[in-house]
Parts: sequence; C-alpha cells; structure tokens
Amino acid sequence: MGIALLAFFFAFPFVYSAGNYDYIMHICIVGFFYAILASSWSMLAGYAGQFSFGHMAFMGLGAYTAALFCHYFFISPEPTGICTEFALGSNYLIIKNPIGVTSTTLTQDCLAQAMEKWDGAVTVSPMPVWLGVILGTLVGGIFGLLIGLLVLPLRAAYLALFTLGFSEILRATISAEIQITRGQAGIELPGLFENGITIAGHYFGKTDKIPPYFVMFFLLLGCLAILYWLSRSRFGLFVRALREDQDAAAALGVNTTRYKILVFVITSMMAASAGAVQAHYVTIITPNNLMILQMSLVVAMAVIAGVENFVAAAIGAILIEFTLEMLRTSFNIGGIEIDMTLWRLVFFGVVLMLTLRFARNGLLVPVINYFSRGHVAAETVVRRKQSESSEGASTAPGVQGGSS
Amino acid sequence: MIELEVSRLNKKFGGNHVLKDVSFEIKGAEMIGLIGPNGAGKTTLTNVLDGAVKPNSGTVYLNGKRIDQLPPFEIAKTGLGRTFQVTRSFRRMTVLENLYVPALALGKSHTGNEVKEQALEVLEFLTMEHLRNEYARALSGGQQKLLELGRLLMLDPDIIILDEPFAGVHPKLMEVIYDYIRRANAQGKAMIIISHQMDSIFALCERLLVLNYGDLIADGTPEQVKKDPVVIEAYLGTTEDRSGTGHGDEAEQS
Amino acid sequence: MQYSSIFWWTILWLIFWGVAGGIITRRIYLRKDLDTSNATLGGSVIGAAFGPVGLVPLWWKSPEISRAMITLSSLVVIGIIAVAFANADPENNCVSNGSFVASQITNGLIIGIIYGLMALGLTLIFGILGIVSFAHGAFYMIGGMLVYYMVVVWFPGAHPLIGVLGACALTFALGATFERLFLTPMYDNRVERPIEYGILVTFGLSFTLTYLVAALAGFNPVKVKRFFDFPRIRLPDSSDPWLIKTSRGNMELFDTVSISNPRFVAAMLSILVLLALLYFLHRTWTGKGLRAVSQDREAAAIAGINPNRMNMLAFALGSMVAALSGAVLVQAFSWLPIVGQIPEMRSFVIVVLGGLGSLPGAFVGGILVGLVEAAGTGCVPNPQKASSYIPAYGMMILVLMLLLRPMGLFGRKFASGAHGKF
Repeated sequence: MGIALLAFFFAFPFVYSAGNYDYIMHICIVGFFYAILASSWSMLAGYAGQFSFGHMAFMGLGAYTAALFCHYFFISPEPTGICTEFALGSNYLIIKNPIGVTSTTLTQDCLAQAMEKWDGAVTVSPMPVWLGVILGTLVGGIFGLLIGLLVLPLRAAYLALFTLGFSEILRATISAEIQITRGQAGIELPGLFENGITIAGHYFGKTDKIPPYFVMFFLLLGCLAILYWLSRSRFGLFVRALREDQDAAAALGVNTTRYKILVFVITSMMAASAGAVQAHYVTIITPNNLMILQMSLVVAMAVIAGVENFVAAAIGAILIEFTLEMLRTSFNIGGIEIDMTLWRLVFFGVVLMLTLRFARNGLLVPVINYFSRGHVAAETVVRRKQSESSEGASTAPGVQGGSS
Repeated sequence: MIELEVSRLNKKFGGNHVLKDVSFEIKGAEMIGLIGPNGAGKTTLTNVLDGAVKPNSGTVYLNGKRIDQLPPFEIAKTGLGRTFQVTRSFRRMTVLENLYVPALALGKSHTGNEVKEQALEVLEFLTMEHLRNEYARALSGGQQKLLELGRLLMLDPDIIILDEPFAGVHPKLMEVIYDYIRRANAQGKAMIIISHQMDSIFALCERLLVLNYGDLIADGTPEQVKKDPVVIEAYLGTTEDRSGTGHGDEAEQS
Repeated sequence: MQYSSIFWWTILWLIFWGVAGGIITRRIYLRKDLDTSNATLGGSVIGAAFGPVGLVPLWWKSPEISRAMITLSSLVVIGIIAVAFANADPENNCVSNGSFVASQITNGLIIGIIYGLMALGLTLIFGILGIVSFAHGAFYMIGGMLVYYMVVVWFPGAHPLIGVLGACALTFALGATFERLFLTPMYDNRVERPIEYGILVTFGLSFTLTYLVAALAGFNPVKVKRFFDFPRIRLPDSSDPWLIKTSRGNMELFDTVSISNPRFVAAMLSILVLLALLYFLHRTWTGKGLRAVSQDREAAAIAGINPNRMNMLAFALGSMVAALSGAVLVQAFSWLPIVGQIPEMRSFVIVVLGGLGSLPGAFVGGILVGLVEAAGTGCVPNPQKASSYIPAYGMMILVLMLLLRPMGLFGRKFASGAHGKF
C-alpha cells in the first residue's frame, strides 16, 4: 500500500492534466507542507507525549530565518563602503541595513544606494536559497534545544501553556519589530527556483509547479524516513516509554532527559525546514502564519488521522488539506447562500471533537493497522483461545480489555 | 561480589526528617526484608537508593561506585533495579516492548534476535508467553505486576528492590512471585523486599531491616528482630500493658 | 527617550541580579536543607531589588522567605523601574502628567477586575477538572455575541441586562452539555491521558464555536450600545464640580480621572457577579462541595459529594463566567468572532501568575495584569510597537512564572520531587 501511494505521488504531476493543474499541484504542495508538520508533531505529541503548542513557532523560526537571510545578506565582488560588510575571499559579504516598510522607494537601503552608484557595473548576487533553508533548519534545532531544556520539569497543562507562551512571544516580537521583519506586512522571499531550473534537459520556469512539488515531496519523504527510522530504533521505544511513565523509564535505565530534549530538537528542525521551504515556495511569510488557529489546523490534522502514528498523520494531513480545499465552493440551498469557506471549518472542528471522543486512535490508524498488525491480532486471538482452554480461569482476567 | 554500602543517609522534606542517619551494608546475594509502619521512610529510602530523590547528606556506594548523586538511569545501569508501589507498566506498549526497554537502555542491539529470545525466556518464566503482543493496559493487575518483575529481569541488576510485591495479588500469582524472588536470588541477585505481609517476609528473608520514622532501629535475622524490644515497642506495639499506644497499624499482620 | 541608555542599563542590572539571585539562592537553600519552594522567586526579586546588598545577607543568614519579603522586594523593583523610566524619559505623559497617571491606574484597576472575573472561571475549571480550558476565549466571545443578538437583532429594545442574563443561561447550558458529551470519559480512565484529552477537546470546541459564529454572524464587527447612562451628577455643587462630574457616557473624578461609562458599568457588574460567586462558593452547600472537590477529590467523594456533578457544575459555571465577562464588555469594544483570543491568552497568564486553581490568585492576578497593561499602553513610547508587544508582556510573565514558581503566587504547593504534578 505504501509503495502504491509513493508511485501515485511520483506519477501524479506527469499524469494529471486537467485545466486546474496549477491549483491542484498547489494544494498538493501545501498538503505536503502540512504533512511534515503533522507527522513531526505526532512524533512529539503522540509518541513522546509532549503536547506542545509551539510547533508553528518553530515553523515560523525556520521561515523567518530563511527570509531574513535572503533579505539582508548578499555577496558582492566590490565593497559598497556604506553597508556592514566582511571580506570573504575575493568577494564581500554585504549585510543590508534594516529600513522597515516605511520607505516607499527601495533606494533607501545601503545596498540599493551602492548599486545606484555602480550603475550596473557590479553584479550583486543573492544568497543561495538552499543555504537559507539549512540555516533555518539549524535555527529551529537550536531553539528546539532551548525549549526542550526549559520544559524539562513541566508536564501536561503546564507544558502546553509554556509552549503556547513561547509561540505568542515570538509572534508578537515579529509583528512588533517592523524595522527588521516588516511586521504584519510580512517579508518577501525569492522563489525556490528564482531563475527556473533545468532537469534532465527540460527547462522549468519560475512559476512551474513541478520543481517545488518535488522539493516539498522529497522533504516530506526525508522527514518520514527519519521518523520511520527513529520509531523503529531504540529512540522510538524510549520516547514511548517516556510518554507512558517517565519515572519508570528512568528507573529502567533510560536517559529520559536526553530523549526528551532530542525529540524536541528533531521535530523542531523538521518543522523549521518545512517552514523555510514553504516560505520560499509562496514567496512571503507573515506573522499570521504563527497564529494559534494555524497551530490548531496542524493539531487537528494529526489528531483526526491518528496522533500516535506519524504515517497516518502525514497521509491524513494531505487528505484533509484536499478535503478542505474541495469544500471551499459555496452553494445555494433553497435560495440561502451557504458560505462554505467558513462552514467547512465548523465541520472540521466537529469532526475533530467527535474523533477525540469516539475514535481515540484517529480515523486512519485503524486502516493502517488493518494492513500492518492484522496478522498479529489474529495470532494473539488464537493463542489466547489456546491458553484459555488449557489454563482455565487463571489467566482469564487478563483479557478483559482486549486489544484495540 | 555484590556490595552496597549505605552510610549516614539523611533526607528531609521541608521540616519533615524522613531518613535519619540510615546506614547498612549488603554483601553478596542476600535476601532482605525492609519493614516498618506506614510513613517509616521505606519508599523514600527506595527513592533515594534509585536516584529519584537526592539525599541531603550521606553516601551510597554500589560495587565500589558512588551512586547517591547519579540520575536514576545511571543507577539503573550500575545495577540497581526497583519496582514501584503502584504498578507502572508502559500501558500503551505491548508486553514485548515493555521488556525491550531496559534491554535496549543497557545498549543491547535491537536488531537480531538476542533481546527477543531473552524476552521470550522471561515471559516463559512468568507464564505470560501467550500475552506477548498484548498491550500492557489489557493485562490484569497481577499480570502487570509480573510484567514489572520481568522488566527487572531484562535490566539484570545486581540488587532488586521490590516495593510491595504481594499487595493485591491473586494467590496463584503469589506463587509465581515467590518463585521469581527465589530464582532471582539463586542467580546471585541481592533482593530487598518491602512488604506489610509479615508471613511472606518471614518465609523469604534471612535478614530484616526495620525502619521507624526515619530511624533504622533494627538489622538482623528474623528471629533476632522478633525478639528485639525496641522493635516490639516501636513497631509491633503488641505488649498488653501498652495496647493503647504505639504505632501498631500493622500489628495484626505480624 | 533622550537618556534611554540609563533605562536599559538599569533593566540589564535588574535582570543580571535577578537571574543570579534566582539560581544561586535555590542552590544555597537546597544545600542548607531549607524549604526551596520560594527560593527561586524570592531570590530573584530580592536580587533584582537590592542587588548584591540584598543577596549577600540572604545567602549568609538564609531566613525563611516570607510573602512580605517578596512583596516588598517586588515593589522596590517596580519603584526602580519607574524611577529609571522617569529619568530616561522625563517628557513622557506617564511622568509629567499626574492626572494621566491617575486615570491610567483607575482604568487599569477597572479593567483588571473584569480580567480577574474571566480568569476566575478558568481557575475554577482547572481546580476541579484539572484541565486548562482552551475554549475559554470562545465562551467570552459567545457571551458578547449573544447579548448583541438578543438586544439588537432578535428582540430590539429589550433591556441589555436581560440579554446578559440570557447569555449566562445559554452558555451555562452549553457548557454543561459539552461537559456531559465530551468530558465525561476523562473521569473514569477511559482516556489514557485525561489532561491532554481535555486540552485538545476544548481546543476543538473553541475552533468549532469560533467558525460557527463566523459562519452565522460574519466577520463584520458588531457593537452594542452602552447598557446604562450615568445620571447627571455635579458634586459638590454645579458651578464647581471638582469632586464628581458626569455626562451620560463619562465620569470625571477630582477633575482629573476620567472613566468611561461602559467600563465602569462592566466593572460594577463584574463586582456584583464576583460577590454572588463568592457567596455561592463559601455559603451554599453546593459551593462548598465544589471547593471540597477541588481540594481533595477522594475525600469529597467519601463525604458524599458526587464529583461527577461537580465537574459539570464547574465547567458550566466557569464557562458562564467567561461568557459573562464578554457580555458586560460587549458595550465597550466592537465584537468579532475572533475577539476571544487575546482575553483567553490573558486569562492563561493570570491563572498561571495567581496559581492554577487558586481563586484569590486569579483575582489578584487579574488586577495586576490590568495595571501592567495600562502602564504598557500608556507609558511606552512608540505606541505602534507597544500595542504589538502587549500580548508578549503577558506571555513573558507566564513563561517566567512557569520557570520560577510553577504553582503561581497563591497556588497550593503540589507534591514535589520526582512524582510532582507539573
């Protein structure tokens, strides 16, 4: 089943050819973006039991790092003489001065002034996009480490409030430091492939959706591969033990501190990398992307699909993103205009509550378990029957709960 | 040779002096009962030994290594394992996964069959083989208790502290636990058993430690302890002339 | 800000000694086997207030850190900040204009009372159910919306107080229904992680309610006229009303402090509700039952109180209180479906500051936050930046509080150590 899904997503951009191609591709990319966030959050919350509300903040950190990096750092063969600059081999690293959004003309920052003086004689090159993405990921990891260290003694409700607090502080700071971040207006980034890209002899233009589609797709696959590897290694076992009972795990030799911090660092880096790539793809990032309602989307996607299974969370995020987009079209019933852009979210919220209440494993996990654990369950049932008939009542109390 | 050296251990919670200069030694695979009335400091002593709580003063050496300031996981790896008064299995993990945790924490490889075989052996011993793929939360209380004991076998420590292993256990499982304790002891592990069930303690242990409000008031064979006037006064409190006094909440069980 | 460097150096000085005091005092108290529950907070405020002069004797003698010491030191810290600010920015309204300061303080107090009321609902829910209700802001929003619909849309001309009562009744019913339908699995271990379940499911409720109202009412801001007009009062006499002077929408005290009518009315209504709530909690059988459950669930159950019913009551009552603060504030602000978010965050800050589960803590915390916000809006130069930073100030208090003293200023001390409750 997994291979079929993979093949489907690989082939999709080349097979699909309806008129809304760009729109569908866009939904796919956004779906992948949410899939990375939801699956990494499911590792953090579902596996390790750290219900953090700061995941979107890490996404924002990655995005803003990439944005600020592209916005303020340039390479020039000549010194400008007015900017902050460092010699870098034969070139110069130029750091632009922040001018904020108040300037109507763009000639007020030092680099623009210098370029005006040079009058086209010197070509200033921007920083490579991939370097910004990597830096964003690293910054996400550093802050993940910091938050992981700070929340060590906090549990449950206190952890949720602390991470929410962190997220809000970050959002407020970004909105307020208009000089640097341009505040609510958001900061613009170059596209992922600003000058287009040629792959296997085929040229893809700047607005072509196929390159970003595959960038995001491979990022998702990379994250899923890491998560898969982690979940199958001792890391996965330990963080689940940590979720169930921290003290018992420590008493059995598990370094709970290390794994709690590690899980924060790893998932934060994933969120940050997704944020950086997404910001380059949509070419703008605003503080509103860090809002609690955005966070609730990720949480809801993971929970509806199944928070204790990151594959389910990833697939669920893509499916839900599609469903939400498909439900956008408003319609008329008996003359009453139903504005689906809002009603679909109401519907979504109700589904979230009902899933939590009646299907605690999520809606997708049973499906996945049917494929992966079905034989184990059958085996257990057979064994249980055997043991019951041979040992009689002594083990009977043990089967009261049954496996879910 | 197992060697646990506890000297002058003190622990205060605020103004409450829970352990007062507790010192004792364990040499070799002894079978020790730790008794005392409720609030005597038994669980605190366990928590201090296991690293969950740091002592205010005093030292603990295990096999020549000082462990009183180490975090719990280091102590567990050094060779001291414990169960909890309230059963604390990893409820949403399967029985096998529960057993893998301590083995992998010791650094054993999770690929290959070594750990799995070891775990299956443990399960066989606990007569829980048929439950290996069940979630721990689906087990009965007694079986969860057995699972905790199984995890300790996987950790393979030198010293095992069992906090109330017999509380609320079906008589049939009791046999398994007795068997477990004897077998672990025969494998060369020192056992410290905390219990209020005196008949079990007397049946199993060759040495008793008696705690009373933080003081270690007696250390000796069951016979010695039974006759010890200090213990009788402080703990058993059954002498007729002072039946109204004393801390005899467990007296009826002795 | 001409001498702003003075101000920032002072702040740096405070932070340095605060951090040093917090960390080292705790270490010292630990080593001396003393009670450390106040050591971090006490050490950091004493450090910030008196610097090394205060810390050295503290470390030397290590007395028991009392609430009086913490309060005194906090006041000194505030004083230092105020003096530094006054020196750095002598032109500022907050420094040069006495009547402005008086107005700001009065308004801070008034709005703080309303904040306190809302936080009281949240702390009531936490005390009894053990969960942080993320739907608190949604209930606040619903309260205001219901008043708007009742007095403007459905029954134009109805008295606003009827609208407020109606909003209370409806939100109480909504809270109770939600609790019965969605929170009951928490109590009997049918969910594995009850606290996280509670957070997520109230989160879901908040999401649903916000968009439901948005879908029904749209995203246009609505407004309700003020509930009452002030009577025309001129005291002590009409030619020279220096004591009190009212117009219909405003009141002026001592010719300096001006209070707007909607806020005044909202605060008065809040005080009435608060008194009623205190009476209910302390004087009635059910209220005592609620408090008993929040202190010791098992013991209360043994004493014959049905904790299940108390859960329902607490959630319904707590949500109703949130709705009520919305209902009385709808006359002061324009109302949107997302209007609850900031008050919700503020309530989180207040309950953490006062201590999760502590009723007096919520109230004092509310007033403190009201005052801080008044100072923040009134005094910080560059108002645009200030307004963006205001939510962050609160969150910084929350984050610091969770790090320094998770049980809050008035919170009960939970079981500490490895099996603690945080």
